[in-house]
Amino acid sequence: MKKRDRHDLFVYFSFIWVGLLIYLFIVAYPVLYSIWLSFSDYNPNKGGGWNFVGFLQYATMLKDPNFYHALKNNMIVVVVSVGGQIPIALMLAYILHRKLIRGGAFFQTIVFLPQFLSTIVIGLLWRRLFAADGPMSTLIQIFTKDPDAQFTMMLDPSTVFYPIGFALIWMYTGFFMIIFLANLQKMDGSIMEAATIDGANESQIFSKIIIPHLSGTIIVCSILAIAGSLRGFDLIFAMTTQGLQRDNAMVLPIYMYQTAFQDYTNEMRFAYGAAISNIIVVISVLLIGISNLIGKIFKPSEEK
Amino acid sequence: MRKALIGFILLVVVGVAFVPAFSASKKVVVDTMAYGDNSNPEGVNWVRIVNAFEKANPDIKIQYEMLYDEAYHQKVTARLASGNVPDLAYMGADARWGTPWKEAKQQFDHKKYIDKNMFDLSLIPSMGPRGEIYEIPLGTSNLTTTLYMNEKLVKELGFSTPKTYADIVKMVPAAKAKGLTVVSIDGADGWAWGSCLMSTIVARMSGDLNFVSKAVAGKKKFTDPDFVASLAMLETMVKDGVIDAKSVTVDYGTNMSNYGNGKALFMVQGQWAAGSINKKVQDTTRLMAWPAFPGEKKGAAGSVAAAIQVGYGLTKKGGSNKDVREAALKFLNYFYSVPETTERLKTGAIVAPILKNFKVPASLPQVIKDKVTVATTAKNSDVIDAYLTGAANDALNSGMQKIVSGKATPAQIAAEVEKLARK
Repeated sequence: MKKRDRHDLFVYFSFIWVGLLIYLFIVAYPVLYSIWLSFSDYNPNKGGGWNFVGFLQYATMLKDPNFYHALKNNMIVVVVSVGGQIPIALMLAYILHRKLIRGGAFFQTIVFLPQFLSTIVIGLLWRRLFAADGPMSTLIQIFTKDPDAQFTMMLDPSTVFYPIGFALIWMYTGFFMIIFLANLQKMDGSIMEAATIDGANESQIFSKIIIPHLSGTIIVCSILAIAGSLRGFDLIFAMTTQGLQRDNAMVLPIYMYQTAFQDYTNEMRFAYGAAISNIIVVISVLLIGISNLIGKIFKPSEEK
Repeated sequence: MRKALIGFILLVVVGVAFVPAFSASKKVVVDTMAYGDNSNPEGVNWVRIVNAFEKANPDIKIQYEMLYDEAYHQKVTARLASGNVPDLAYMGADARWGTPWKEAKQQFDHKKYIDKNMFDLSLIPSMGPRGEIYEIPLGTSNLTTTLYMNEKLVKELGFSTPKTYADIVKMVPAAKAKGLTVVSIDGADGWAWGSCLMSTIVARMSGDLNFVSKAVAGKKKFTDPDFVASLAMLETMVKDGVIDAKSVTVDYGTNMSNYGNGKALFMVQGQWAAGSINKKVQDTTRLMAWPAFPGEKKGAAGSVAAAIQVGYGLTKKGGSNKDVREAALKFLNYFYSVPETTERLKTGAIVAPILKNFKVPASLPQVIKDKVTVATTAKNSDVIDAYLTGAANDALNSGMQKIVSGKATPAQIAAEVEKLARK
């Protein structure tokens, strides 16, 4: 290395060393610690020594039916997020951008409003809506004329994700809508104007101009939605009560939390919890990789 | 001039650095984990007591973090695992409240330090193998399976205090005709079924006050006919209309509000709820042990489930530092003083005090007097989650919710709990 290069390196490093140290301490250290922990039997609460146990925690996890239950639920959340939030957000952004309705600013605010509220508050609000004799039950009682009718979807593992999915869409659609709207505003308006003059209708403009133009943004939003879905804990935790409801709606982060923080019968619970969290990261990376691949497959045809 | 200026700056720097250190060194800081929130009596009273104590003892700072319910348990686990151990904390000695401290080897025996002139040691149960006292309980045993009765409503329907379960069943048609719930329970919370109802049913049906602890120790099985019959009692209660199947969607707040607004004849809750009942209904409320269940055995007739009451205790870290220990004990004496204990008794937070020569005030509400009567007359049985923890307890809690909502049979749940308990 030349003296000049060494000097440059020193200058660069002098600019970044504080940030790098903070990054290593806050991000890199917990990640490495979690990986190490998952291959050990260490219990930080108990202290003392530790042993290398290889893939024991991962093998235990793969034999646990709760893991597959939580994984299945997480995949439902991913499908709801990618297949629900993003298309709805895109449609809403398009409607607002093309001024297809009056009072666009009002609707934009309304859809984005949940982003200003605490997730826990939102979770509790939806929980109250679905509670015994709550607003949803009252509506059912009015329509069925059965005073004993109740909203019971939260009690059944096969239906619990209908209300939760609805809440997830309600909460996060506004976030993606704003991203799409910002990107639409960057578009050259003359393209759509020209298409309109050439006789293209709204659905043709949407499918032939808007979608290709926003393909990169859609991929970014999908990545955000996948990552958010897999680490999503707070909304589902707050929406469900301890016991049957939370068991039905258990996703990997809740499974990890219950294992590491509540299962005192398992002395290796922190190591087991670390293994679950590492698997969450692996699944996220895999799904994000698939999203990128799909993005690349569609990109050449868009450039033709 | 330059030297004088440098000297002055140095003086200021030294002063700024050391003066606070001096003043801080005079103040003993007790790092505390408190239980409550800003809206419940526990939290409000905690803040009031700490402020008054610090005013009277300017050399002591009670530096606290206050959390409630699941958030508290979560933070305890996180703090202990990260080595950020408090000096003083709200804790217990059973599986639910004591395990994290026991596992982290942070339990501290208070026996040597507790003020024997103030506390009646005969009222504080042994919490360890050598009679250790790991925390100072707020009161005597914590009754978890008490039944609250709105006496006025029951009388209005033409009934009196039930002696048997069948007496409650007789009230069902009249209650339903008036749109009233017979027995209200916060069944959306899985723990409520275990702690506040099943703990007493198991003891009654098996005739064994310690069935749960024996089953956890492997001396009994959760698949024993007595345990299955106990779970089946839940099915019977739903079938008889005593408990609504919709109870599994009723949370704690709704349960308290339903009962407090006169929408239910009875309420299932622990003794701690007595002080939180709407004043109007509280005056007409009687507190009792569950009446006799059909098929219950003699050994545990009239019993209620009870656990060692939780309270504040020093951790090993806090106890090993003389200054912190003395400051914390001084605070605890203030926290458990006669006026504060009387207040807790009046508001229903505790069953009975553990103070020496304590005179029970004559002007207590009826529900509080009932509580003292039940505590002193009824036999005590095991509280399930004081012994059963982890996946087995979770499976039991959600299993009872499944039974009530008709999604599982008692035998299925018993088998699942047994399997997980033996893992």
